[in-house]
Amino acid sequence: MMKIRVLVLALAVCAAPAAYAASGDASVGKKKSAPCAACHGAEGVSASPEFPNLAGQYADYLETSLKHYKNGKRKNPIMAEQVKNLSSKDMMDLAAFFASQRGLQIKY
Amino acid sequence: MHPARLLAALVIAAAAPAFAAGDAAAGKTKVFQCQGCHGISDWKTAFPEVYRVPKLGGQKPAYLVAALKAYKKGERDFATMRAMVADMSDKDMEDIAAYYGAQAVTTAERK
Repeated sequence: MMKIRVLVLALAVCAAPAAYAASGDASVGKKKSAPCAACHGAEGVSASPEFPNLAGQYADYLETSLKHYKNGKRKNPIMAEQVKNLSSKDMMDLAAFFASQRGLQIKY
Repeated sequence: MHPARLLAALVIAAAAPAFAAGDAAAGKTKVFQCQGCHGISDWKTAFPEVYRVPKLGGQKPAYLVAALKAYKKGERDFATMRAMVADMSDKDMEDIAAYYGAQAVTTAERK
């Protein structure tokens, strides 16, 4: 009986939805964002037409993009260099910071 | 700015191909396939990873064109977007980018 209860509990824990999106800390991300600012602007609004705005973008999209630069699913020499030493936590924090800025919008 | 980063930025800027400005009005007639995902708030991809598809309103047109071309060249690995760009001409990409970038983001005030 005990074993079944433990099993049920374990299954319930597994079935619980994984924490949605990034659980990054925007204030920590801000501190880590200095290197990003050179191209993407201090608050995620880029001064150059070549570099994307990050302000207001979805955090989980930003985090996925950073991961893809790191694992090679996206190939870009500049970004590959930038993400080389970023941990998963760094990526989540940076994503949370830029997502918290006002900027990009849904356009239909 | 760190000298290496400045140099990198300058190299990129110098290497950037001439960017032709698209026609936002023409772009409006070409985005019907984009809207199914990018026009819906919080729309998520389901495969192979789950995350919200990016907001495009106010994005830099030159960046959007570069991203579309990267999908076409295989420098970005996402099957849905590769299928979307397969039949797009450079002009289509420029027009679509102009449409989405028409409302430029100029402020970064905190929410």
